[in-house]
Amino acid sequence: MADTTDLSRDVFIMFKDGICAVVDFQHVNPGKGSAFVRTRLKNVQTGKVLEHTFKAGEAIDLVELDRSNMQYLYKDADNYYFMDNNSFEQHAISADMIGEKGGFLKEGQEAAVLMHDATPLSIDLPKKLTFKVTEAMPAVKGDTSSGRVLKEVTIETGMKVQAPIFIEEGEMIVINTENGEYVERASK
Amino acid sequence: MNAHVPNWKRWADDPEYRRRMETRAAIVADIRVFFAARGFLEAETPTVVAHPGMEPHLDPFRTTLLRHDGASFEACLITSPEYAMKKLLAAGLPRIFEITRCYRNGEPWDGSHNPEFTMIEWYRANADYRALMKDTEELAAELAVKTAGGTRIRYRGKEIDLAPPWPRMTVAEAMERYSGIDLGRGIEDPERFRSDVEAKGCPTAPGDDFDDVFFRIFLRDVEPKLGVGRPLILREYPRSMAALARLKPGDERYAERFEAYCGGMELCNAFSELNDGPEQRRRLEEEAALRRKLGRPDHGIDEQFVEAVGKMPPSAGIALGVDRLVMLLTDAPTIRDVLFFPASDLFTK
Repeated sequence: MADTTDLSRDVFIMFKDGICAVVDFQHVNPGKGSAFVRTRLKNVQTGKVLEHTFKAGEAIDLVELDRSNMQYLYKDADNYYFMDNNSFEQHAISADMIGEKGGFLKEGQEAAVLMHDATPLSIDLPKKLTFKVTEAMPAVKGDTSSGRVLKEVTIETGMKVQAPIFIEEGEMIVINTENGEYVERASK
Repeated sequence: MNAHVPNWKRWADDPEYRRRMETRAAIVADIRVFFAARGFLEAETPTVVAHPGMEPHLDPFRTTLLRHDGASFEACLITSPEYAMKKLLAAGLPRIFEITRCYRNGEPWDGSHNPEFTMIEWYRANADYRALMKDTEELAAELAVKTAGGTRIRYRGKEIDLAPPWPRMTVAEAMERYSGIDLGRGIEDPERFRSDVEAKGCPTAPGDDFDDVFFRIFLRDVEPKLGVGRPLILREYPRSMAALARLKPGDERYAERFEAYCGGMELCNAFSELNDGPEQRRRLEEEAALRRKLGRPDHGIDEQFVEAVGKMPPSAGIALGVDRLVMLLTDAPTIRDVLFFPASDLFTK
């Protein structure tokens, strides 16, 4: 049986008779007492966010997920659409469930779609992806002395990320899709 | 910044990190100035000990002490200098403080925990926990003035005013206000408490004791609301949560314990100390039994500690996390950002 050490932002659990995505979790040691894990869970059917405090080590009910390799096609106001590379079937995943990962999706991007009972719940992206910088303000003189070694740049998907001040518009940069952090300049 | 650069290499090209570490050194020096000015003696007590404390839910680091002649002793690193400090109180020292390294095994390495951390503890004889509330708010305010130029600081994008006096609230008032639960009635009737908590949509588990049920609702509904904009002193904990504290005169459901919350962090934990030897022994035996039940070694009772508690004048003592205080005053996102060598840089897989 899985327990609270298996909690991560990538897993889904059964909670109060619904499948929930783990949105956030935090270990808490209130001092003279057991340790706890405070979680924010999002019910995938209703979109409702609930909070629950687990005792550290308590059993959790992990939801088994199947992975299918798909290609990202396009999005509309509510959903992101993917095509199964084997069956060519199209699947919609709500923008709500994709969340911040949507910022890493460009047309044709391969992703593992996580399915439960044929319902797509989420996606898993390669850890590092390369993007073109479409907007980058030139570094302002004096930025380094004030302690700012990063600046905000916009990548081709429209998402903004923090990158070193030497990065210029038109460059290709590698981003860590797990935390949204700049990794390096893409090798040419 | 990049998480893969070990901290000791950040100094050269991360001015923000450099500023934090310089401020940290200044804060530690200013803490000494603060206590010296109030007539406290700085005590240096051991970190390798035979009896590391009995809190049922802490895992001390264990080792073996070897003498040259082959004699060996089971030893542990302290989880807090409390036992030694209380012996000094019993010896007759009226005001003592110590800035020391403490060690706790088996804890998460997250934004506010490192297995080795710096704590300041201070004790006042012939005083109760109210004197420590005043010390805490004055210490934080004085350090903020010295490091940030005023008591208004910014932490993680939010302003906090550290000017004393800080608002005070009892745990029962906070439970009533933020979760609508009657804690006093709950302490008298734990089954009723459990059903009150369940009725708030907060599931409990069959093995939960009173404290577990308390923390499930407290961590969900109450704690996130504490210390926003102004620090908060949360006082009078249920008696089961304060094995080393004196019970509240006139209402023995509660113990004279407080914690200060600030910017989403718990900064300190303080008590009017229990100074009844036989009662101390009874509580230690209870905790030892609980430790064994949880599969943890009980380390044996420190008889000199029990003796000291019986001889201590009425006293109050407090432990405050220096790393967290530095995080607060330097706007550091995680405890990593105020350490030269966080555990996650030293131990990698």
